Amino acid sequence: MELLYQCLIVLRKDLLQQWRARARLAAVVAFGLTTLLLFSFANGPDTTMLRLNAAGYLWLALLLSSTLSLGESFRVETQNGALEGLLLLPTDPRAIYYGKALGNLVVLTGLGLALIPVMVALYDVAIPMGVPRLAGVIALGSAGLVAPGTLYAALSTRARGSDVLLPLLLFPLVVPALLSSVKATALILTGDPMNQLASWLGLLTAFNLIYWSLCGLLFGRVVED
Amino acid sequence: MKDRWEHLVGLLGLALFGFGTWHGLVVAPPDIYMGDVQRIMYVHVPTAWAALLTLTFAFFVAIGWLVRGTWRWDALQEASIEVGVVLGALLIAQGSIWARPTWGVWWDWDPRLTTSAVLVLAFAGILALRSFVDDPRRRATWTAVAAIVAYVDVPIVYFSVRWWRSLHQVQSSPDTVDKPMVLALRINAFALLFLATWLVARRYRLARARNRAELADMEAA
Amino acid sequence: MTGMIQGGWEFVQAAYGVSIATLAIYAISMELRLRKEKP
Repeated sequence: MELLYQCLIVLRKDLLQQWRARARLAAVVAFGLTTLLLFSFANGPDTTMLRLNAAGYLWLALLLSSTLSLGESFRVETQNGALEGLLLLPTDPRAIYYGKALGNLVVLTGLGLALIPVMVALYDVAIPMGVPRLAGVIALGSAGLVAPGTLYAALSTRARGSDVLLPLLLFPLVVPALLSSVKATALILTGDPMNQLASWLGLLTAFNLIYWSLCGLLFGRVVED
Repeated sequence: MKDRWEHLVGLLGLALFGFGTWHGLVVAPPDIYMGDVQRIMYVHVPTAWAALLTLTFAFFVAIGWLVRGTWRWDALQEASIEVGVVLGALLIAQGSIWARPTWGVWWDWDPRLTTSAVLVLAFAGILALRSFVDDPRRRATWTAVAAIVAYVDVPIVYFSVRWWRSLHQVQSSPDTVDKPMVLALRINAFALLFLATWLVARRYRLARARNRAELADMEAA
Repeated sequence: MTGMIQGGWEFVQAAYGVSIATLAIYAISMELRLRKEKP
């Protein structure tokens, strides 16, 4: 209970911090939109191809933007020594991890939702299974990116060359989350005649369960040293 | 000489590798389906085992550092991760050379091939992480955490890629295994295991020497 | 007709060549690095 309470305090602090730095968040959204636009140039103006690849482009845009938003969320903490301050208080490091990760999840899911209308417009896709389900997949997939992402952001922002380090560590790791998110999103965009959606969501949930618990366990070791 | 045992293991590995390769290239008959291309397997499969074993070892060593926290464990982490990445990169090169005559392409999204690529990239990233962190204790802990997180990913990557590819045909693996074939495979499996052990042991000594110098520098500063 | 893949020796040679070269270069670099470290 105490852990949950502390976690909510960290989450509130994180969201407040993100809100104060909303100009930076706007830059991340702009970055995501730019990547979505660029993918259509990589493909050429072939509408059928764009429609087929829309799910993949959406997730690549989200993954690329996530490295920016994750890095930002910890840069503030390290710049003014706020993380050290938090650790001086009798806070469970797990509470810090889950609070930060939830904050990042809110930001990334928000970004994903903001990208939906642009994706619909640019790639001319329909959403036959409905926006709520798509939003659910975006939230679940973002959770998969954010779980190891928060852990890695905590360490890469305190190392030299942090800009290159975070994607280098994160990208190979999230391959299963990316793969299942893209598949699930594609099924939502094109329809699911074979009932495959459930198994992809199952895989994504398993990935989330494993990394949300494992990274929470290991986070303490990362920030204490 | 303290390092005599590892040279013994290394020489044994070298001798076995020579014998196993001769066996695989000359003695073993060509496969009924794969023909002479099958001979790649006598080095490819043992490399795969050795690479996977080395990285599995790295995973347990990482836990060892988190539990014990003595410098030996960190040197062992550095050694096993680097050797694992080198063997893994070699594995992918061999797999690519095998794929060309067999499937007609240099790269195939086969679960094993894809998983090893992801694995090598993840652990290569950890080596990069090591070079970016100056504080030795922090470097060791972060390496251990990243190694555990990356290793846990291996089965998940494998299954996700397998599902992803499930619409494609399953690769047929020839199960007509002749005695000389098994022998070549077994000999080279031990050969690569011994060679990997020698490499890890040598890399461990290098890491220890550097670690001592680093700690002495910090002491002096 | 068994459908056996004919030839392909060049791929076998390439695979073994790459393996031996990689292991040899890595081993040599390791010994050189070790020698540099030991005074």
